[in-house]
Amino acid sequence: MASVSFSEIFKSFGKTKVLHGISLDISDGEFMVLVGPSGCGKSTLLRMLAGLEDIGAGSIAIDGRVVNDVEPKDRDVAMVFQSYALYPHMTVRDNMGFSLRLRKEKQSVIDEGVNRAARILNLEPYLHRYPRELSGGQRQRVAMGRAIVRDPKVFLFDEPLSNLDAKLRVAMRSEIKALHQRLKTTTVYVTHDQVEAMTMADRIAVMNDGRMEQLGEPLELYDRPANLFVAQFIGSPAMNVFDGVFRGGFVEALGARWPVPHTRASDGQAVKYGIRPVHFELNKKQIQAEVIVVEPMGAETELLLKVGDQTLVIMTHGRAAVGPGEKIFIAPQAEHAHLFDAASGKRI
Amino acid sequence: MKRIGRDAWLLLAAIPILLWTLLPIYHIFLFSISSKDSAFSGALWPDKPTLRNFGTIFRQEHFYLHHFWVQIWNSLWIAVAAGVLTLAIATCAAFAISRLKVKGGRTVMNLALFTYFIPAAFLAIPMYKAMGIYGLLNSRWSLVLAMVTLAAPYAIWVLKQASDKLPYELDEAARIDGATPPQLFRLVYLPLMTPSLVAIGTYALLLAWNEYLYAYLLLSHEQTITLAVALGHFIAADDSPWELLMATGLVYALPPAAIYYAFRRYMVSGLTAGAVKT
Repeated sequence: MASVSFSEIFKSFGKTKVLHGISLDISDGEFMVLVGPSGCGKSTLLRMLAGLEDIGAGSIAIDGRVVNDVEPKDRDVAMVFQSYALYPHMTVRDNMGFSLRLRKEKQSVIDEGVNRAARILNLEPYLHRYPRELSGGQRQRVAMGRAIVRDPKVFLFDEPLSNLDAKLRVAMRSEIKALHQRLKTTTVYVTHDQVEAMTMADRIAVMNDGRMEQLGEPLELYDRPANLFVAQFIGSPAMNVFDGVFRGGFVEALGARWPVPHTRASDGQAVKYGIRPVHFELNKKQIQAEVIVVEPMGAETELLLKVGDQTLVIMTHGRAAVGPGEKIFIAPQAEHAHLFDAASGKRI
Repeated sequence: MKRIGRDAWLLLAAIPILLWTLLPIYHIFLFSISSKDSAFSGALWPDKPTLRNFGTIFRQEHFYLHHFWVQIWNSLWIAVAAGVLTLAIATCAAFAISRLKVKGGRTVMNLALFTYFIPAAFLAIPMYKAMGIYGLLNSRWSLVLAMVTLAAPYAIWVLKQASDKLPYELDEAARIDGATPPQLFRLVYLPLMTPSLVAIGTYALLLAWNEYLYAYLLLSHEQTITLAVALGHFIAADDSPWELLMATGLVYALPPAAIYYAFRRYMVSGLTAGAVKT
């Protein structure tokens, strides 16, 4: 186990700058998720940590030792790839024991390591099989097994669940989390799926366009997004955001007055008003809206509403007794509203 | 109905092609089981089929066949050496260009392919001179080296295309697992490339086995020539022993046929591997 530290990391591919000075400290045993849209540089950052990509400028340290010029094999990290990257010509047992074999460990040590990992991941019945004879979920577990066997200082996951179907993804998510709780190995996990990030991470680093937008615990990011990007990226369905003007303790927007949690904005300031779909109350006479679409999901109902010329998404618990075209009243919960500066997008 | 119609058309096209291919082989076979007198009778099957021609060959009982065993050994030696050497060079080159992404790798490959702009026959005389300078004329190595020169560019190209298709993550996974480039080559690359390697090895081997022009130029002594060149000597005389020529030809054709049959599974997938750039 080890801490990981990125400091002032820059990287370009040709003339394209992909990372603009990322600094991030990951503590021993932490589960850190790097999340962001594709092309934001999160995978590049992970690959640099693995040693698969040169570091443009800055330094990366594992356990206090700068590893910029250290070969991947000498960094004591294990990586799980999106495509699994299992050796097709080796059985599950050989795949998992490959790193130990390269280290010239004794056969008994290799067997012990492989058996232990297989036990943890319920792979014992499949040890003699080839990757092509396994399902997607099993392959993913073998890839994880290969990482576990090495007992590395840091686990690296590069979008490991992207190739799985939705149901399996949820199951594997819990498995990875359980595995981390059991092994307590420092983990860096890259994904573009904010749900994965929210459910698995100790802390999340939200990245966009080669910069880190915000770093924090999942609920901290959800409750207090630092800017518009994080506000709209974290949370599903995404936060409703629209333009308004702060005046007299309210935000005037879409022909209505929207309540705010504080009055830190100055009078007449152009703002973006943000509120999550779950933070509305229905039928409290405040703002009138027209129902466009009703999406019942059993436990909750998603309503697509029109207020002024803006469409808003609202989630209500239970069933909603309304239909398309009907007029209803909605009341945003002031304490859960967010204000952002219209120009900079920063939280007010 | 439509399907049957299409199948019928295919069959109609296939039968003449098959006959076109098989007739000469049948002709060779017919000659080789005929006696000298009946060889030119024009019958579809000889009156008295005989295997005596093969006895004559294997016992080296004819003037043209006095060195049969030495010559077929030469052919084999040269073909295997050319196959192995081509394979070794092309595999290493493809690995370096495709997997290690060595600087200038693409240029090397393009230059190699460029050699195919010049027909092999044009290169025969310069090659003869070069071998003369190195003192290799009349040595089996001269033909081996010439064959490797001719086969390697295509071999590199096919193997490079085939190795481009292996996912690069495998290399990265192996590197993180602790593999050095030689270990990556031996433990991951070679096993996964086996089908292409078999196909390319066979290609180079058969190219050398079937070679006539270069063999004829570079080797001239009875003891050093290949059987292909020796077969050419048969028709030098006015009264050629056609039945022996055909029988020897048939014997000469058997090893390639056997190799093709043994590796047919790899041939199709291996040789078409580089056909389409994906």
